[in-house]
Amino acid sequence: MRTLIAFTKKEYMEQVRSRKLLVLGIIFIILGLMNPLVAKLMPKIMEGMADQLAESGLTVGEIKVTALNSWEQFFKNISTGLIAFVLLESGLFTREYQSGTLVLSLTKGLKRYKVVLAKIFVLLTLWTAFFWMTFIITYVYNDFYWDNSEASHLFFSGICWWLFGAWVISIMVLVSTVSKSGSGVLLGTGGIVFFIYLLGMIPKVEKYLEIKLTGGLKLVNGQSVVSDYIPALIITLIVSDVFFIASIFIFNKKSI
Amino acid sequence: MEVLSIDNLCKSFGDKEVLKGVTLKVPENSIFGFIGKNGAGKTTTMKHILGLMKGDEGEIKVMNEKVVYGQTATNRFIGYLPDVPEFYGFMNAREYLSFCGEITGMEKKDINERSEKLLCAVGLDKEKHRIRGYSRGMKQRLGIAQALLNSPKLLICDEPTSALDPVGRKEILDILMSVREKTTVLFSTHILADVERICTDIAFLDEGSIKLSGKIADIKGKYRSDEYMIETEDEASRKVLLQKFDKLKEEKGQLESVLLFKETDYDIHTVLAFVAEKKLPVIKIERVEPSLENLFLEVVH
Repeated sequence: MRTLIAFTKKEYMEQVRSRKLLVLGIIFIILGLMNPLVAKLMPKIMEGMADQLAESGLTVGEIKVTALNSWEQFFKNISTGLIAFVLLESGLFTREYQSGTLVLSLTKGLKRYKVVLAKIFVLLTLWTAFFWMTFIITYVYNDFYWDNSEASHLFFSGICWWLFGAWVISIMVLVSTVSKSGSGVLLGTGGIVFFIYLLGMIPKVEKYLEIKLTGGLKLVNGQSVVSDYIPALIITLIVSDVFFIASIFIFNKKSI
Repeated sequence: MEVLSIDNLCKSFGDKEVLKGVTLKVPENSIFGFIGKNGAGKTTTMKHILGLMKGDEGEIKVMNEKVVYGQTATNRFIGYLPDVPEFYGFMNAREYLSFCGEITGMEKKDINERSEKLLCAVGLDKEKHRIRGYSRGMKQRLGIAQALLNSPKLLICDEPTSALDPVGRKEILDILMSVREKTTVLFSTHILADVERICTDIAFLDEGSIKLSGKIADIKGKYRSDEYMIETEDEASRKVLLQKFDKLKEEKGQLESVLLFKETDYDIHTVLAFVAEKKLPVIKIERVEPSLENLFLEVVH
């Protein structure tokens, strides 16, 4: 356990000293602030464009902004956060392969599964912290300007999106145990997510796919019910765990 | 007792056979020079000892325990210094040693004590900067410190001196010499001068197999020729010698004043008596020692 903690500590130190923590922190804070801000400014923007719209035959009536508009922004923008997270963290394994830093740790008797566990732990804790930070910022501002009670199942839809992120991270870890380069990890992870996204176009299977979890907005504005998300939730939970466990097995046999 | 034994280790990459049955025994408390040309398979062999590569055939034992690929428990006996050691650049030397100590499961107190001692020994105790800015020599010295941190039975160094300047080389060799009492050292190199300076045992690796191995003294003894060499101070005495002993030879490529003869041709004492009797001015008379360089070339070709 002590060796696992030591390696995890090293991972956090790297996140802090390479300023990744700072950069990601800023990105997620900005995202959190932007959601209510854009919603708040929407009427002004529309007013400014009213003349143009009138020319094309559209009349802008009075726009009433609610917390739902801000949550709509949240579910749109959080994907940017996840993409930034994957971009910055894609080299977490491969940097160590390329520089050879793992060789010394492993030849000191550090168990390989601990390397994978520590990295998974760091990725998941960071994702959790950043995601919920954005969520809470949006929540607090929404409560301040409007009323969050208009949105239903907020917390549950948040969990769904968070789990989607965790699933993407599990893909990233799995691809990292196979790929040698950071760009390979990006390509592999992006490819798999995109494939699932395409599969999601088929109405019958969409219900069971991880991508379903990103549709929390429909839950918030009452277009769908919690039970619609349960199959995807369970499947994603299982698939992510399988990916994490598979990563450990593959990494054990990897030539470093 | 042997700290390390390798038996018939084979490894191919695709259709290229890199190791063709390497067999090697490293006795305890030796400084073992593992000598070979670039690309002879030295690093590959070392990676197998550390369980970083899976051999196609053969067996490796460290402290009589079998080395297993992947989860390599025998590494607890080993300290390893790769040819180009890579550290986490965002740490400083102390932090790195502390990290190494923690992942090997050392006690906090031991880590601090050993780190301090080793950093002093390798001359990095005053260094406060992060490792990112270190020179090659500094990295190599930190590499030795981390390899020795948990007082290993076997220290494996992959060409520790190849990339260093003469001062850096001397420092590293001195450190290796100084750890000999507690630790067996196996180091690969192609710098034969380093081997002559500190090694007790050697093995020549060429084209994937061991061509020669054993104690340096034994090997030199075995390959010692029955030749003697006389170097005279002046031309005149050289001629006197040549007149008396007509089987004396002048060696090509040597200084002109150097003469060689075989023990079977003349008894050394007869020659010495003659030199004494005629009071010939000589610089030296010695039995010709085979140099490692000659041995290496002989074995490799």
